[in-house]
Amino acid sequence: MSGLSLQHIKKVYPNGYEAVQDFNLEIEDKEFIIFVGPSGCGKSTTLRMIAGLEEISSGDLYIDGKRVNDIEPKDRDIAMVFQSYALYPHMTVRENMAFSLKIKKTPKDEIDKAVNEAAKILDLEELMDRKPKALSGGQRQRVAMGRAIVRHPKVFLMDEPLSNLDAKLRGQMRVEISRLHQRLGATIIYVTHDQTEAMTLGTRIVVMSKGKVEQIDTPQNLYNYPKNMFVAGFIGSPQMNFLDAKCIEKNGHIILQLGDYPISIPERKQKILKEKGYVGKTVVLGIRPEDLYVDNSSVEKFKNSMIQSQIRVYELLGAEVCLHFDFMGVTMTARVEADTPYRNGDTVTFALDPEKIHIFDKDTEITITN
Amino acid sequence: MAKQAKIKGDGRSVGNDKKLKTTLTITFSIISIVYVLPVFFVLLNSFKANTFVKTRTFAWPDSETFVGWSNYIKGFTFGNFPFMKSVWYSFIITIVSTILILLCTSMAAWFIARVNNLLCKICYYLFVFSMVVPFQMLMFTLSKTADTLHLNTPYTIPIIYLGFGAGLAVFMFSGFIKSIPLEIEEAAAIDGCGPVRTFFNVVLPMLKPTMISTGILEIMWIWNDYLLPYLVLDRTKYMTIPIHIQYLQGSYGSVDLGAIMALITLSIIPIIIFYLTCQKYIIAGVAAGAVKG
Repeated sequence: MSGLSLQHIKKVYPNGYEAVQDFNLEIEDKEFIIFVGPSGCGKSTTLRMIAGLEEISSGDLYIDGKRVNDIEPKDRDIAMVFQSYALYPHMTVRENMAFSLKIKKTPKDEIDKAVNEAAKILDLEELMDRKPKALSGGQRQRVAMGRAIVRHPKVFLMDEPLSNLDAKLRGQMRVEISRLHQRLGATIIYVTHDQTEAMTLGTRIVVMSKGKVEQIDTPQNLYNYPKNMFVAGFIGSPQMNFLDAKCIEKNGHIILQLGDYPISIPERKQKILKEKGYVGKTVVLGIRPEDLYVDNSSVEKFKNSMIQSQIRVYELLGAEVCLHFDFMGVTMTARVEADTPYRNGDTVTFALDPEKIHIFDKDTEITITN
Repeated sequence: MAKQAKIKGDGRSVGNDKKLKTTLTITFSIISIVYVLPVFFVLLNSFKANTFVKTRTFAWPDSETFVGWSNYIKGFTFGNFPFMKSVWYSFIITIVSTILILLCTSMAAWFIARVNNLLCKICYYLFVFSMVVPFQMLMFTLSKTADTLHLNTPYTIPIIYLGFGAGLAVFMFSGFIKSIPLEIEEAAAIDGCGPVRTFFNVVLPMLKPTMISTGILEIMWIWNDYLLPYLVLDRTKYMTIPIHIQYLQGSYGSVDLGAIMALITLSIIPIIIFYLTCQKYIIAGVAAGAVKG
């Protein structure tokens, strides 16, 4: 297993479209890195450049300290799991898994050993003589994994491997991949647009948008300290609520004015806003749906940071409820306990946890206080 | 008790469905008989004496007209050129040409479908265009060129067949290859395959259905082809079955129709066996690419 280094990687297509712009990343050995972002953000292109399936327009790619820009995919010692699994339809499961070793002219007994071991790990032993068309989606996915495992590559690349599975199977396979990572101790680069996969699997996440890296951090840090509004909005479901707020000074305190509602913020954030000269300016206040409270004790606790609105949609999710409401022309969401008494049409006071308030520059959309 | 018609989900009654099925079965049976009838009469007349082939074409062989296997024996031994030699040349030309067409055009189609640059697009349209050029337009220049390039033997004529068969084959292969996900080939590249190994180990096996259906079409065309070998081959040394049959027509217009019928029957037997063996692949080949697997 091994580390990777991506230095100023760029991908420019012949028509001038810049799919990836100045991508820099150091990946440690045994890390589970997730590339996440909306469709067309360049995450799959980056993965394909690492695999050698796309040419790198500029920049350097190192695997295990060796520059591999001009090295063929087969000589990079990587394995890839594709979105569509890309199994060879004319070969059995066993032949699919053994194919790469056969090409390397590995002795037959070694091939058998590696294939049987992978089959045992992935619970494929009963399916070894079947062709891919006789397998279910989940089984095909496991064969694709098996094909990658048998090679013992330096790096595993996975391009949205769970996106073709149903929700239940996706959940199961997520756990399996996580277990596999621990068991193999492998370096894995995993592409997804599903933030649940990103948050649950990754040791670090690379959030991308429009070919640019927005933030690289641990799942917890991405959630708690997003660098900009894009990351704040992309990580977390339902997404963070954003409101324009006027930053004003009142009785020696800096507060955020949301229409008629003054929102007090912690001392630390006040200090930063004052130092950076935001007093008198409009900023963007961000609050996650789970940091809005409607229960009496919270309303009492955060009485200096409250807003009031009428519930438009009551959405029961089982263990919790999403309350959708309009405030200052913005549709907001609060995620509260399932036993909340509020229903459609009720006017409710929502308390904002001041510690959980994120403040962004309105023009640059970059965080001010994180 | 009032009789109630069973109604299916789409509103049509089961009785109507049965009637429609019966009508279609009868119609298609009649069409099939019309198609098979000429072959049947060829077989029938191959057992009649030459004079009765013309006068009692549609009659069942009787004691007067029936000659047993004599037409077949005559066909085999007629003239200076042994029939089995013609069979051998037909066989060689058909097999070698078909293999050459399938191998070369599948590779060309793969390249065209995957590289897909301007040059490939031009090549593709040239291949397709070649299908609409009538053979008669080329035949005289072709026979001259074939002589010059020594393509007038059964062992070299497959090169000419490759040219004429490439249009249809490239068209069929490239259509199918476009439906194969590129990711499979990319997976092969990561697994350690170069382009040649990717083609032979991964792409070619996936092309099997199209290969069989294209192969059947090419085999039937080349086996039955008369004009091209007639124009190109040195007929003093080489004959194919259609040419041999035509040569049974003796000088001054005397024709041994009984022997001709016998040899036609013999010549269509391999193709019928071949077709019956491979017919399930023809359907698979036609359906391949249209249906997501």
